[in-house]
Amino acid sequence: MLLAHVRDIYFQAVWALRDNLMRTLLSILGIFIGIIAVMAVGTVTQTVHNFVFTELASYGLQTIWIYRQHEAPNPYSTVRTGSGITNLDLEQIQKGCCPAVARVSPEVYYQDWSQLFRFGNRYNNVILEGVDGVFFDISRDEFTIGRNFRDEDIDNRRNVAIIGSEVHKTLIGEHQNPVGKSIRFGEQKFIVVGVLKRKNRDFLASIGAAEDYDVNNKIYIPYTVHQQMLASKDIHQLLIESRSVAETQNAVDQVVELLQRRNNNHFQYKWDTMESWNTKANNILSNISLLGLVAAFVSLLVGGVGIMNIMTTSVVERTREIGIRKAIGATQNDIRLQFILEAVVISTLGGSFGLGVGYILSIVAQHMLQIPLQPPWMIIIAAFLVSIGVGLASGYYPAKRAARLKPVEALRHD
Amino acid sequence: MIELINVSKAYGSDELSVPVLKDVCLSIPKGDFIAIMGPSGSGKSTLLNIIGCLDSLDAGVYQLGRQRVDLLDEDELTQLRLRHMGFVFQMFNLIPRFNALRNVELPMIYAGMQPQQRIQKAVAALSRVGLQDRLNHIPAKLSGGQQQRVAIARALVNDPDIIIADEPTGSLDTKTGHEIMKLFQTLNRHGKTIVMVTHEDNIAAYAQRVAHMRDGVITDIVRH
Repeated sequence: MLLAHVRDIYFQAVWALRDNLMRTLLSILGIFIGIIAVMAVGTVTQTVHNFVFTELASYGLQTIWIYRQHEAPNPYSTVRTGSGITNLDLEQIQKGCCPAVARVSPEVYYQDWSQLFRFGNRYNNVILEGVDGVFFDISRDEFTIGRNFRDEDIDNRRNVAIIGSEVHKTLIGEHQNPVGKSIRFGEQKFIVVGVLKRKNRDFLASIGAAEDYDVNNKIYIPYTVHQQMLASKDIHQLLIESRSVAETQNAVDQVVELLQRRNNNHFQYKWDTMESWNTKANNILSNISLLGLVAAFVSLLVGGVGIMNIMTTSVVERTREIGIRKAIGATQNDIRLQFILEAVVISTLGGSFGLGVGYILSIVAQHMLQIPLQPPWMIIIAAFLVSIGVGLASGYYPAKRAARLKPVEALRHD
Repeated sequence: MIELINVSKAYGSDELSVPVLKDVCLSIPKGDFIAIMGPSGSGKSTLLNIIGCLDSLDAGVYQLGRQRVDLLDEDELTQLRLRHMGFVFQMFNLIPRFNALRNVELPMIYAGMQPQQRIQKAVAALSRVGLQDRLNHIPAKLSGGQQQRVAIARALVNDPDIIIADEPTGSLDTKTGHEIMKLFQTLNRHGKTIVMVTHEDNIAAYAQRVAHMRDGVITDIVRH
């Protein structure tokens, strides 16, 4: 069929739509709502997705935690107590015994988490943890004021402390510079040397990857000082960074093997990796997005059913007109093309208006919520193409019926 | 030019089928103007629809020029209508939302003509039937006679050999009916073959020949 002829039939279709303006607008509305739904669901899930992965990445995707599995001791071992990790183990890893490990830091803490600290006459419960300077590198912490621990702080067991942003706010007061101030814990006195930048942990907490406490409400001291306070050489947890995300499992295997060998197989170890949380988060979010998108695409299909409904009614109402057209020389193809074009024009208009209005809405929402929204353009373009496909599919059956009408019978219709 | 040999047609399903045409034979030479008359149910409309390639026949032969029409499929029949037939109906059968120009343009769209040419020919055809100043009127704004003139312009615009007219004056007053018939006579004089169904004797009188039908058979043909 010639292009010029298709254009002529197209104008017949457009005129027919214009002559039934109210009905045309209502069927456009169905597709319009479908596209808006896909855009809304897609944009919300994509934005949440990015939000979550930004949070996860802020903890370093190569991060590993290894600790003794207390609830399942080796049944053949006589040794029951101890953390299963010692300073000598740490030294071995620091020397490079585990090639997949890039960096390692010890973590020492009380088993009952929260401790009472004093500043001047203010008291507050905070979490105390003994670490070294590498800890803040691995956990991607930044300092708003002050500095990190130095080697001599660790080696000489200096009473220095790095505090979280929440401690700064509640114990010391937001408007005071805490660096150089001393805070008290029982009889011990610590000089604050640094304050950490606030970190987000909303998502990790929501999937149970973080304990109930606020990560920003912590005080860090040199682990050597903490060990002295506890009178032990135990390390409770190793914070490890693997050389790459791909090497995560190798790093775990190498460290666990080393720990078991050096501790004569007395203990079993457990580990968490940021990569596994990442995978978990990905699965959860993908499922949620999929559900939402399925629902949105269903509304697009409902819009298509609306078009089919209207086109079928239109064919019945215009039976006589179809008879006239056929009598004066319209072929089955001409009639079929006209009705399919009517459906496609409706769905394309609905899709285009949906895209346009959806885009404007996303900009408005971005300004109002002050959140960078990320409309997933691939999905939105796909939805637009689907809407045109829906138009084609829903126009096809009514068009076929129209094309098959017998001219004599159609002319007799009133 | 039109040759019908033993044409039969029945409506309805196998057992309940009602014969409408029974072994009808009719020959219409080029340039003829034939009126078909008969009471309702005599089969005259069915015969006209078959001649106009709007309906199929159950048995018999329909020869149009060199073509065996009874062997053609629907799209081939459509092509025949497009190239060789012009239709004028009792109820005018114009598209209500289209103005006179658009209605007359329609057959040329299906014939694949260029837009420029279509408009020119549509204006010319409407001028020929005296409607040059009614181009932009929709059918509802035209009188019955004017609507029928638009329909005649539409029937003529693809330059057909045959005009098929089904009670063309049935919805018109007597005066307008005679005007339309004079237009038909002029067209006939210019070489158009006209096949017309009517039940009015004074309308049939404009034709060269009148065929009378009863119960699906042509009983006699009278030449004026």
